[in-house]
Amino acid sequence: MHKLSSRMTPLLFIGPAVLLLLVFSILPIFIALGISFTDMNLMGLANWSQVNFTGFENYLALIKDKSFLQAIGNTFFYVIIGVPLAVISSFLIALFLNFVSNWLSTTFRIIYYMPSITNIVAIAVVWGFLYNKEYGLLNYLLSLLHMDAVPWLDDPFIAKISLIILAVWKSNGVSMLIFLAALQSIPNTQYEAADIDGANRWQKLRYITIPSMSFATFFVTVTTLIGWLQFFEEPLVMTDGGPLNGTNSMALFIYQEGFQSNQFGYGAAASFILFAFVITATLIQFKLRKSD
Amino acid sequence: MGKKRIGLIAGVMLAVMLVLGACSSDSSGEGSDDNTIKVWTMSKALKGFVKDYEKESGVKVDVQVIPWENAHDKLLTAVASGKGPDVLQIGTTWVAEFAEAGTFLDLSDHIKDYDNLSPDNFYDSAIETTQYKDQTIGIPWYVDTRLLYYRKDILGEVGYPNGPETWDDMIDASEKLAARGDGQYALDMPATDPQFPFMLAWQQGWDYDIDKGAENFKEPSFKEAVKLHHLYYKEGYSQTGEGKEFFQSFSDGSKPMFFSGPWDIKTLKDRAPEIDGKWDVHVMPKAENNKSMIGGAHLAVFNNSDKVDKSLDFINWMADPETQVEWFKTNSELPANKASWDDPALADDPKVSTFGEQLESTQALPLIPEYERLGQELLKTLEQINRGGADVDKAIKDYQSKAEKILN
Repeated sequence: MHKLSSRMTPLLFIGPAVLLLLVFSILPIFIALGISFTDMNLMGLANWSQVNFTGFENYLALIKDKSFLQAIGNTFFYVIIGVPLAVISSFLIALFLNFVSNWLSTTFRIIYYMPSITNIVAIAVVWGFLYNKEYGLLNYLLSLLHMDAVPWLDDPFIAKISLIILAVWKSNGVSMLIFLAALQSIPNTQYEAADIDGANRWQKLRYITIPSMSFATFFVTVTTLIGWLQFFEEPLVMTDGGPLNGTNSMALFIYQEGFQSNQFGYGAAASFILFAFVITATLIQFKLRKSD
Repeated sequence: MGKKRIGLIAGVMLAVMLVLGACSSDSSGEGSDDNTIKVWTMSKALKGFVKDYEKESGVKVDVQVIPWENAHDKLLTAVASGKGPDVLQIGTTWVAEFAEAGTFLDLSDHIKDYDNLSPDNFYDSAIETTQYKDQTIGIPWYVDTRLLYYRKDILGEVGYPNGPETWDDMIDASEKLAARGDGQYALDMPATDPQFPFMLAWQQGWDYDIDKGAENFKEPSFKEAVKLHHLYYKEGYSQTGEGKEFFQSFSDGSKPMFFSGPWDIKTLKDRAPEIDGKWDVHVMPKAENNKSMIGGAHLAVFNNSDKVDKSLDFINWMADPETQVEWFKTNSELPANKASWDDPALADDPKVSTFGEQLESTQALPLIPEYERLGQELLKTLEQINRGGADVDKAIKDYQSKAEKILN
C-alpha cells in the first residue's frame, strides 16, 4: 500500500499538466486530422449532419492549388534565407556582447531584446512607415545617396526580403540570449590554456568557442527553423500575403482558408502538410546532429 | 501520512476540476436576469445610445461591442457553441453565410406585431438583404452606399466643376488629370474593397443571377467592367500600390477622386480641414446605369434566444424613424427607415441628401454564402491583371473556373 502510493505521487504531480496537454494539444491534433478528411465549413459547424467524409479530396485539391504551391515556395524561401541569417546574426551579436564592457553589454542586450517583447502590430505600424515608398525613412536615406526609391513592399520578390529583414530583427533577441548564456558558461581556463599555447583570437573562436556552443547552436537552429516554417505574423500584418500572393506563407494560407473563408476541412488538410514539413525538417536535423 | 496523501489527491483533483470547470462554464451569465437583453454590436456608440430605451422600457440592455475585425470569429464561435446574445448586429454581406448556418430566428411571423418593422418602411434593396430562403432574418438598422468624392476646384480645371456624370466623362477627366505630371493621378481605386468590382459590373449592365452561378462571369458586360478597371491602371490614372497617405493625396490634389461611403464626410472634415468647401460628392458615374451597392447592417435575433419579445421590442425601438435620425446624429450612419430622410438633419445637408439620392439607385450584393470568397478571388484576379500583367481573357477564364469550384 505504502509502496503503491509513493509510486503514485509523481503521477499526481505531472497528472494535471499531462491532462491539460492531452486535452488542449494532443487531442486537437487528432481532431484536426479527422476534419482534414471532411468538407467541414460554417454550416457543418452549426449542424454536424452536414459534414461529409471526402477522403483525400482536400489533399488532392491542395497539391493542385496554385496559391498553396506558391505559399510553400515562399515558405521555403523564407526558411532558406531567413534561418541562416537569423542564427548567424544572433550568434555574432552574442559574440560581440561578450567582448564589450559590462555596462555596454547590458545596454545592448536590452536594445536587442526589445523587439522580441514588442507587440507585432506596433512593429508593423513603425516598419510600415520605414518601408513606405513615398516618404519612408529607408527610401529617404537612399535618396540622399542619389539612389532610386525601392518598392519595399510593392514588389513580390523585394517584399519577401523586406519581411525577412523585419523578422530577423525581431527574432534576434531570444536567440541572442541563449547564445550569450552558452558563451558565458565556457570555462575561462580553456582560453587561458590557449593563451599560454599562443593561440590568436581567431584560433580561440574556431577551436574553443564554436565547438563549445554546438548544443546551443543546435537548439537555436531547430527552434528557429520551426518558427520560420510557421512564418505567420509578419506577412499577416505587413502585407496580408500580397502583392500577387508573393509573401503568402503556408501558415497564413491556412489561416485564410480556415478562418477567413471558413473552409475548415481544407485548412486542416493544409495544416497537416505543414505539420509534416516541420516534423521532417526537425528529424533531419536530429539525424545530422547524431552523425556529428 | 495516509490521511495527508488522501488530502493531496483530493486537492489535486479539485484543482483539475476547477481548471476544467472554468473552461467549460459559460461566463456570459445567460439567463441570470430576466429583465436584461444582451446585444452584440460593432458600433461603440450604441453603448450610450441605449440609455434612452432603458429609461423608456425599463428593460436593461447589456451592450457588448465587438470590433469589426473580430466580429466574424466571434459570431462563428457563437454559432458553434449555440451560445449567443439575444440581439446581434449583422453586416449585410454576411447574411447568407450565417443564415445558411441557422444563426438567426426567422422573424416572418413576428414583424406584423410591431409597427416599425414593416418592410414598407425601409429601402427595398435593404429589405432584399434581410430575406434569405423565404425567411426574414433581420431588420435593417442603417444603410450604406458608395459615392464619388471629388475635388471641385481640380475637376473644374479639366472641365467638370460639378463632377463627371458618366463613365465617358470620368475617363476623359482622368486622362487630363493624369497628364498633369509625374505622381499625379485621377482616382484612388478601392483596391481592397471586394464590393467595388461588382458595382463596376452592375454599371455596365451586368447582374448576378443566382441560378446561373459561375456562368454569370461569362457575360460580356462583366468583361467590360474588368477592362474598365484595368484601363485605370494601364493608363496610369490610378496608382499601383499604396503610395502616399490617402487624405494627404486628396488634399494635395494628386488623387482628386475616390469612391467611398458616408463616414468619409466626417473623416475628411477632421483629417483635411484645409480643403473644406473645395470638395463635394456625386452619385456614381453612369454607364448603362449608375447603380451603387447597398450595404449597412441589420439587427437580428439569435436563434435560441429565450427573450424574443423583449428583443423585438428593442429592435422596434431602434427602427423607429426618430431613433434612426438620432442614430445618424450620433454616429453618422444613414437611416434605413425612409421616413427619417425627411428630417432636416438629413434633408438640409446637400452631401447627405446626395447619399439619399444614390440610395434610390442601389443594388444588393449577391445573397449567397459564397459571396465573400467570390469577392476576394475577384480582387486577386484583378491584381493578377493590373499588377501581374495577366491577359484579361485568360484571367477571367481562370476566375470562372475558380468561381465554379467555390460555388460547388
